[in-house]
Amino acid sequence: MSFNARITLPAQARVGEIVEIKVLTRHPMDRGGQSDGKGGTVPRMILNRLTATYAGEPIFRLDMHTGVSANPFVSFTTRAVATGDIVFEWREDGGATYTRTARLTVT
Amino acid sequence: MSSVISPRSRRSEAGPDRRSVLAGAAAGLLVATLPARAATDISPERAQLIARITEGALPERGRITLDIPALVENGNSVDTRILVESAMTEADHVRWIHLIAEKNPFPDMARFHLGPRAGRAEVATTLRLSQSQTVTAVAALSGGGFVMADADIVVTLSACIDGG
Repeated sequence: MSFNARITLPAQARVGEIVEIKVLTRHPMDRGGQSDGKGGTVPRMILNRLTATYAGEPIFRLDMHTGVSANPFVSFTTRAVATGDIVFEWREDGGATYTRTARLTVT
Repeated sequence: MSSVISPRSRRSEAGPDRRSVLAGAAAGLLVATLPARAATDISPERAQLIARITEGALPERGRITLDIPALVENGNSVDTRILVESAMTEADHVRWIHLIAEKNPFPDMARFHLGPRAGRAEVATTLRLSQSQTVTAVAALSGGGFVMADADIVVTLSACIDGG
């Protein structure tokens, strides 16, 4: 499975500042039903949920359906409160999960 | 004095010429179409899709901006940005933003769950659009209300074709 994610956020932010977090994920997001070239069809296999927690507190959740493109890009904002890890967790059809972590330094 | 064009192909002096008739007709068509568009603003199918997620409530227009290209070359990946005017405080914030493509095989595309910690109700993603259609963004506010925005999109290359 070719999953990969690139997370972009400011290296540091001041307390109270609103930071934009950009997440570019590599995933085929197979919507299901395409021909697999051998007479069959490809089963649906998408990332159906992305959650983000900031210092343990949930800050964002995205429910995705087949209407989200392959290699999805997602952007959202959060208010910087304290230095901490922002943990991203994706849930894939079938139950597999992927986790990535980014650190936000707050001055 | 001889004319460069033959008298027979010269524009007749009497009556309106073809160009002005066409321009007038086009203007008339535009005027006739505009109120019709407002009257049939939300198709019954789309109203049903919206009512399903708002528990029957009809969302207001305004306070929400749906930023999406009107002409999409490739329906496989459509850059979309949604901005809701909200203070994003504990008392007044956006609970979620839902995206609907009425003519996709699965009209529900994505739902962003936000909270007061977001600071700003602004999200972006890339969507799949199966054909030219109206894309609707519905946002649920913490006070219990809903707001919506929509955009007519022309898709040149459909997603949902094999190999796409």
